[in-house]
Amino acid sequence: MSASPVAFGAPKSPAGPKRQPARSPATRRPHPALARLALLAAGAGLGATLAVTITSQPASQLSARGGPLTYAGSLAGMIGTYLALIMVLLVSRIPFVERVAGQDGLLRLHRAIAPWPISLLAAHALFLTLGYAEAARTGTWHEAGVLLANYPDVLIATIGLALMCLIGIISVRAVRRRLRRETWWLIHLWMYLALALSFAHVIVLGPAFVGHPLTQVVWSVAWAATAGLVLCYRFGLPVVRSLRHRLTVTEVRQEGPGVVSVICSGRRLDRLAVSGGQFFCWRFLARGLWWQAHPYSLSALPQPPYLRLTVKAVGDHSSALASIRPGTKIAIEGPYGAFTRYAQRRPRALLVAAGIGVTALRALLEDLPRGSAPVVLLRASQPADLVLSAEVRELVKHRRGTIHELVGSREKAAITEVSLPRLVPDLAQRDVYVCGPEGFVASIVETARNLDFPDEAIHHEAFAL
Amino acid sequence: MKRAPWLVAAGTVAGFLGVLGLHKTAAPAALASGGIQPASQSSQPEHVSRRGQTPAGGTQATPSAAGATVTSVGALERYGYGELAARVSIGGGRITAITVPVLRTAEQYSQQLAAQVLPTLRSEVLAAQSARINAVSGATYTSQAYALSVQAALDKAHFR
Repeated sequence: MSASPVAFGAPKSPAGPKRQPARSPATRRPHPALARLALLAAGAGLGATLAVTITSQPASQLSARGGPLTYAGSLAGMIGTYLALIMVLLVSRIPFVERVAGQDGLLRLHRAIAPWPISLLAAHALFLTLGYAEAARTGTWHEAGVLLANYPDVLIATIGLALMCLIGIISVRAVRRRLRRETWWLIHLWMYLALALSFAHVIVLGPAFVGHPLTQVVWSVAWAATAGLVLCYRFGLPVVRSLRHRLTVTEVRQEGPGVVSVICSGRRLDRLAVSGGQFFCWRFLARGLWWQAHPYSLSALPQPPYLRLTVKAVGDHSSALASIRPGTKIAIEGPYGAFTRYAQRRPRALLVAAGIGVTALRALLEDLPRGSAPVVLLRASQPADLVLSAEVRELVKHRRGTIHELVGSREKAAITEVSLPRLVPDLAQRDVYVCGPEGFVASIVETARNLDFPDEAIHHEAFAL
Repeated sequence: MKRAPWLVAAGTVAGFLGVLGLHKTAAPAALASGGIQPASQSSQPEHVSRRGQTPAGGTQATPSAAGATVTSVGALERYGYGELAARVSIGGGRITAITVPVLRTAEQYSQQLAAQVLPTLRSEVLAAQSARINAVSGATYTSQAYALSVQAALDKAHFR
């Protein structure tokens, strides 16, 4: 690990603590084997869930009155609940999973799976009501009433299901756009409650569980373990880290038009294992900001006792950071992100950034070893948009790399399937790391794919605006 | 991650087969104590082999004296929604009557259900002359408990 010759400078105030020379903090490498094991386990859980459901219901049920609907309802309920469990695990920020997949990748998967558990659970309620009604030869509404009134824990579970459906509705893009992000987020958090409410009726009523104590135990342990992981890694660890490091804002520096660096100081930052390219969710404890946590990448490796993030003013929160008061306390969640040197498969790296994407790139660059000869492409429409370029140039020089600053309009300076091989002759030896606004990242990823980059050699981090 | 869907699929197959295997080793024990036949009523002379039990089709002279009526009460069977015990009357080598002296349910719905379902189960046992009957849909657990209790009563009376 090379020491960085680029310090982000002592803060202007002379009373600040003495900065120690940059030390490489202990990093935690990602272990893809563990992640593969987790995928196998997730599949095994699904298979087991299917099997216990199918074996607990006799095939003769399918030929009986209301039987097929009851069977389908049972199956939908079990698979839907299992998928809900997976959904919770995906966003519980379990370190060994997050290090491999990255928080943004996990969120993407979470969003992609989301319609399934909700739909399956709604189908479960519907099919069972219809099936029971048919078996008991009564009307559907009457049967629904009987289910809610007489069956243990079904009323509570139905409230849970209603909550889930509400969360599903507000997450539909058309509705979500009309809500403030914090409102949507608070309602979404009720999902934990919805799942807790529905737990009891599964164990007490499900055919896979009644009279099958082993299944009951395994299911309960799985849910208890999930709850434990959520408490520990989603809520507990960030609190512990925030208290341990006690970050506060030390200085705000102008880097360019609409771009500021916020330099924070904290205790025991040598114990904070960060890889270049990772980000934190930052909660600045100031009026109007304390109830939001936003993700920003570190724009340099930690230089204990200092951390730096560089932010472009595009929304309310990022604009407010320009005038944040020194001394403001900060609560952090993280570090998160798989956009690190450990994702690299090929011998060398190509780093591409546009606009404020240079922040993650600059930190990642610092993490690359000396002599690793990276190629850096910085893309901007105007020269003033090239923030931190002096530091990037310095870092590239020390690693015997090359840097190209592509300034200008899209017609003149875009990175295409034609221009990229010309700029970077040994593309086949390089992994590409791309960082910047969503549209830019998408187009570079597509360009890379068109140039026969395999997916494992493409790493991206898109900053949602 | 490369091959992620394959890993999940492989795990699913493994988990599915694993539970199926576990279930098979546990199932014969359940069948041996006399439970619901998942197969249709078409009689099969070669039944699933049970430890020490005779096939269904064979007739055997009952140990009890022909002509006398023997009553035997089966074990109290607990099921998800309650518990019941069946009492079986055997006379002349045949099951002649079944009653349910003990029936306690968790809630009102199960009570109603049992009331609806027990007559059907009773006539099925009388028709089949054994505890190997079909469950009544919508009352799977009640049916299963009924069959288990009847079988226990039959075993006690050494009925074929």
